Amino acid sequence: MFRNYIKTAFRSLKKNKGFTFINVFGLALGLAVCLLIVFYVVDELGYDRYNTKADRIYRLNNDIKFGGHEDSYAVIPAPTAAALVSEFPEVENAARFRQTGSFRVKKGSQNIQEDKVTFADPAIFNIFTLPFVDGSATDALKAPHTAVINETLAKKYFGRTDVVGKTLVLNDTENYKITGVIKDIPRQSHFRFDLFLSMETLAESKQTTWLSNNFQTYMLLKPGANIKTVESKFSDLINRHSSAELQQFLHMSMSDLEKQGNYFRFSVTPLTDIHLKSNRVAEMGENGNIQYVYIFSAIAIFILFIACVNFMNLSTARSANRAREVGVRKVLGSARKDLVFQFLTESILITLVATLIAAVAAWLSLPLFNQMAGKEMSITLKALTWLLPTLIFIVVFVGCLAGSYPAFFLSGFQPIAVLKGKLSGGFKNGNLRSALVIFQFFISIFLIIGTLAIYNQLKYIQNKDLGFNREQVLVIKHAWILGNQTETFKQEIKQLPGVTNASLTGYTPTGGNRNSSTIYTSPVFDLKNALNGQVWTVDADYLPTMGMHLAAGRNFSKEMATDSTSLILNESAIKLLNGKSNLNQFLYKPLDDQMKKIGKYKIIGIVKDFNFNSLRENVTPLILTYGKDQGALNVRVSTKDVKGVLAQIERKWKELSPNQSFSFSFMDQDFDAIYRSEQRVGSICVAFTTFAIIIACLGLFGLAAYAAEQRNKEIGIRKVLGAGVTSIVTMLSKDFIKLVFIAILLAAPLAWWFMQRFFLESYAYRQNIQWWVVVVAASGAVLIAFVTISFQSIKAALINPVKSLRSE
Amino acid sequence: MEKYYRTEEVETIALNKLSMEVKEGEFVAIMGPSGCGKSTLLNILGMLDDPDAGSYLFNGTEVANVGERKRADLRKHNIGFVFQSFNLIDELTVYENVELPLIYTGVASSDRVKRVEEVLEKMQIMHRRNHYPQQLSGGQQQRVAIARAVVNKPKLILADEPTGNLDSSNGNEVMELLTDLNEQGTTIIMVTHSEHDARYSHRIIRLLDGQTVMENIMI
Repeated sequence: MFRNYIKTAFRSLKKNKGFTFINVFGLALGLAVCLLIVFYVVDELGYDRYNTKADRIYRLNNDIKFGGHEDSYAVIPAPTAAALVSEFPEVENAARFRQTGSFRVKKGSQNIQEDKVTFADPAIFNIFTLPFVDGSATDALKAPHTAVINETLAKKYFGRTDVVGKTLVLNDTENYKITGVIKDIPRQSHFRFDLFLSMETLAESKQTTWLSNNFQTYMLLKPGANIKTVESKFSDLINRHSSAELQQFLHMSMSDLEKQGNYFRFSVTPLTDIHLKSNRVAEMGENGNIQYVYIFSAIAIFILFIACVNFMNLSTARSANRAREVGVRKVLGSARKDLVFQFLTESILITLVATLIAAVAAWLSLPLFNQMAGKEMSITLKALTWLLPTLIFIVVFVGCLAGSYPAFFLSGFQPIAVLKGKLSGGFKNGNLRSALVIFQFFISIFLIIGTLAIYNQLKYIQNKDLGFNREQVLVIKHAWILGNQTETFKQEIKQLPGVTNASLTGYTPTGGNRNSSTIYTSPVFDLKNALNGQVWTVDADYLPTMGMHLAAGRNFSKEMATDSTSLILNESAIKLLNGKSNLNQFLYKPLDDQMKKIGKYKIIGIVKDFNFNSLRENVTPLILTYGKDQGALNVRVSTKDVKGVLAQIERKWKELSPNQSFSFSFMDQDFDAIYRSEQRVGSICVAFTTFAIIIACLGLFGLAAYAAEQRNKEIGIRKVLGAGVTSIVTMLSKDFIKLVFIAILLAAPLAWWFMQRFFLESYAYRQNIQWWVVVVAASGAVLIAFVTISFQSIKAALINPVKSLRSE
Repeated sequence: MEKYYRTEEVETIALNKLSMEVKEGEFVAIMGPSGCGKSTLLNILGMLDDPDAGSYLFNGTEVANVGERKRADLRKHNIGFVFQSFNLIDELTVYENVELPLIYTGVASSDRVKRVEEVLEKMQIMHRRNHYPQQLSGGQQQRVAIARAVVNKPKLILADEPTGNLDSSNGNEVMELLTDLNEQGTTIIMVTHSEHDARYSHRIIRLLDGQTVMENIMI
């Protein structure tokens, strides 16, 4: 029996090549997109799961509201890790990371810049799964000035991996003895360091203050310990350790602080949630976003549904062709369940072929998808352990889903009716089919509007006046490497033809350094007088180099000796001061940890607000102080020959410091990098929307063909009676176009609401969806649908009526 | 038996208290003008449809209004169908079309080969066993349809205008085949418009407006 089904299915598919192509190609396209999204989702969900104790590892966070500003940090005070281990019986171990920037590592006479460097406690090797290839966790990172490196770095500097006992020279002067070589950290890790330096080396790690947050801290719970119990003790822990400091510096207790609406709160993030669900200040790398996982998963399901709907629609539309077979089989004794089984077999067979094509297509397009998604996914043997069962599941699930309606629909035919030809119009009574076409175009229009909204927002971001000019600014990184020659370097660069200005500071609006601090409106450091914000050290060339504008007052000046105690505030800071302070007034800042020495600063200027955070956030208070920061040299150029200027700058750098690596970026590219994830989502959405439309149109193309075939005789009679091609095309197209219009009416308001609510509202600065977006999406959908249908309609309208009437 | 067809506004009587008996081994022809209820009667006799009222005793068993599964079971073991438009499955070869009823009745594969070949030989269509229906003439297709109808050795063959789509020569051949089958013991009920074909039968039942108006015994 089964063989008979396969045989019939195969021959039926072969006989209806067009139908088979549409179904197989549409399904394959849908499945290929689905598979790519499955790769993406599995990859995103797989972060940090290489750690064998992942279910017991948590990162501690600090949520702070203070001085009118609130933020969520992935860092906590230095002494917390030790306190957790000694005071919490549930905690088995705890370890800290602290990054202080890049290091130059000596290789022969050259110094090579290494960015993936961190100080770390030795306990990281007991918490995380970081297998050693040389040395062991027993000795690693225990003593000051010791290091653990990964295999890549070992090979890079020594050409081999058995290098325990060797020494690395960092920043020309610091020697670190290698105490271990570990395997490279897997790609799916929220941190990927190459070089670990012993925390013991870092003086800051021995700090006892609980009011400074600089250490990423992880704890390993004992087996069976409850995280809720641990969390419930955090409040006491903070009170116990920070009360004295609060009293000393701010003259208040924790409860006084909280009464005024402020707080310091610890929370935890499970290790496996960090990549997708954490977006705090001082994350150890660029994390993903769970929203994208949801969005892409929804798109995958929608596209698969569109492809399945094609199958259902085309199968039921051509039911007239299969009806007689159903009738005959029933007359010959086939039960309905046999027929259901037969049609499901057919559907699964098509899905199997489509899945095989999809698997190959997905495999071939994976490099391109990686490029779009910013990933490095590959199909490994390990991946096959989940991929093969997934493919089998897809074949059975999609096969049954796509085949279920035709199977029950076709098997329900009454044999007498079909054998007497009373069911000639498979296309008639197609309410469900119409609903499914509406559903397909609903999704397509939804995706078009969604994609246009994303692109519109990205365009808005690109064109928004940010309050500074990011074009034609070169950022020469790590200017501090030049030591006391940094200022000389700056002056020489300023003299170069094509260079209009240069400013020495690592604090740039598009990234680089950040420094959150508190300043007071009165010398009495009371919370009521506090202003919390970014405090950046800049020089007198900063504002003109960045193209920033003053709203009031003046810029810093080298000629004014008093400017070392001057401040320029942004408009948001002035607003927050709420009239308590303004131009020419004074602000106060503690100059030592004990808050005994007080600095008095005069506000000499107010800079117009400029965006230095993501446009998702409002501009926050910013205070510019006049001084020396050598983080980077920002160079404004005014020539088309940027390459030439860059070559000259590099030459100057090499003259001053021949052994140090030269690195730079363009400020506009740094800005674009902030929105890279949005740009990736935008590109992927465009691709997926295109596929969704292609698949929906394939279905429409097939349906139009069957509609034309079903109305062959009618077309013939109408032509004999004098109907022209236009009227025939209109007649055949209007039924479908009507469905597309219904889809527009349903999809447009929903897509508008959804994108506004779940995408645009996450931006403080946004371009709301405008009426033309809906018009473009709607007219695009109608046009695409019309062109698709017209192909079949015109073909039908041009047929000689004699032929169609004779065939009847 | 009574059978009505209803639409929202009109009720049409297809069979109006019709009563008849067909004995085992008989060859009965049913005739009448279009719309007189011939096909409705044949569908009910073939258990493809139910009467709205009355009784249908098949081989002594009441089959009116029994469930679909039971009817399908009775049908596949006892009744063979021959249609005017042949109703062969285009995707299956001659051999596979004839084999189909045996698959549904669960006949073992080796038996099927034997029985299909036997019946194809008998219908003189063996040389076309691997051809598809569209590669055959009308007469050949109807022979395949008859082969398919008899391969399960049914007690009853229901033929719905079996020569309606054939020329006179092929039509005569088909009628000869049916007569042979009847002579070998198979009961045949045939709906026809052709007086010529009806003469092959033992008895002609003439219908009008869903009722029997005349019965002719053929000598």
